Amino acid sequence: MKVMYVAGLMAALTIPAAAASAQAVTDPQIAAIVVTANQVDIDAGKLAAAHANNPEVKKFGELMAADHAGVNKSATELVTKLKVTPEENATSKALKAGGEKNVANLKSLKGAAFDKAYIDNEVAYHQQVLDAVDKTLIPSASNADLKALLVKVRPAFVSHLEHAKHIQGTLAKGK
Amino acid sequence: MTTAGARTIRAGVMVLGLLLLSCSRSAPVPPPQPQTHTIVIEGMRFEPADLTVHPGDTVVWMNKDLFAHTATAEGGFDSRQIDPGGSWRLTLQTPGDLPYICALHPTMKAIVRVRTGG
Repeated sequence: MKVMYVAGLMAALTIPAAAASAQAVTDPQIAAIVVTANQVDIDAGKLAAAHANNPEVKKFGELMAADHAGVNKSATELVTKLKVTPEENATSKALKAGGEKNVANLKSLKGAAFDKAYIDNEVAYHQQVLDAVDKTLIPSASNADLKALLVKVRPAFVSHLEHAKHIQGTLAKGK
Repeated sequence: MTTAGARTIRAGVMVLGLLLLSCSRSAPVPPPQPQTHTIVIEGMRFEPADLTVHPGDTVVWMNKDLFAHTATAEGGFDSRQIDPGGSWRLTLQTPGDLPYICALHPTMKAIVRVRTGG
């Protein structure tokens, strides 16, 4: 189930190179991808904050909900200022569907199994989002402010990824 | 010793005394005026990440990031949550090295060194 979810996530975030070069994602599409990607992690974070067994996992869930809400607040303010209407697209739709599947999977788990599934997914998710930010979103953004926002939030994804990997290691040692 | 000789020695001692006095007045470096240093938190980093201050100086952490952060030294200071756009200040008195992190994002590491002199 988890492997299937991660594979689906990778497919969602991987925009085929040919498609990307022929038709780069537009700013309204990037806006929808950014908002959806953050919302997906906020939803999973809130679930972990409420149901995680390990206190470190619980704290990480709270942090994800707060940090990604911070990104979305800035993204929403920016698109409002730029008068850009986020435009749903294949990537944002796949992200949303993947997020819902992940939450449904997590809801069926308890205790250490929940913690492991949540953290494993967070590691994969942040790695994939980071790749998408570097390979697709930043290169495709045409508005300077939108590009600047992506550049500004990038270190947060790096920090979250390292943090999640650290917790993943701790959980593995605790076995 | 003649009176004239004694006078010469007394004069010499006085000149030497004055010289020493003037030297002693100019030699000590006055204690530096307390300064305020700013550390900007942005892009998941403390900038500067390595700051040296004098005892009595004040450090202000300004959060220009999109997220809440803290400046937390284990067994030392703790800003608690600094919201985006917010700041926190601390006057440091005791010499020593104070490594600190963001308690929310432990990948963020920095150090403040409190040093006398220089």
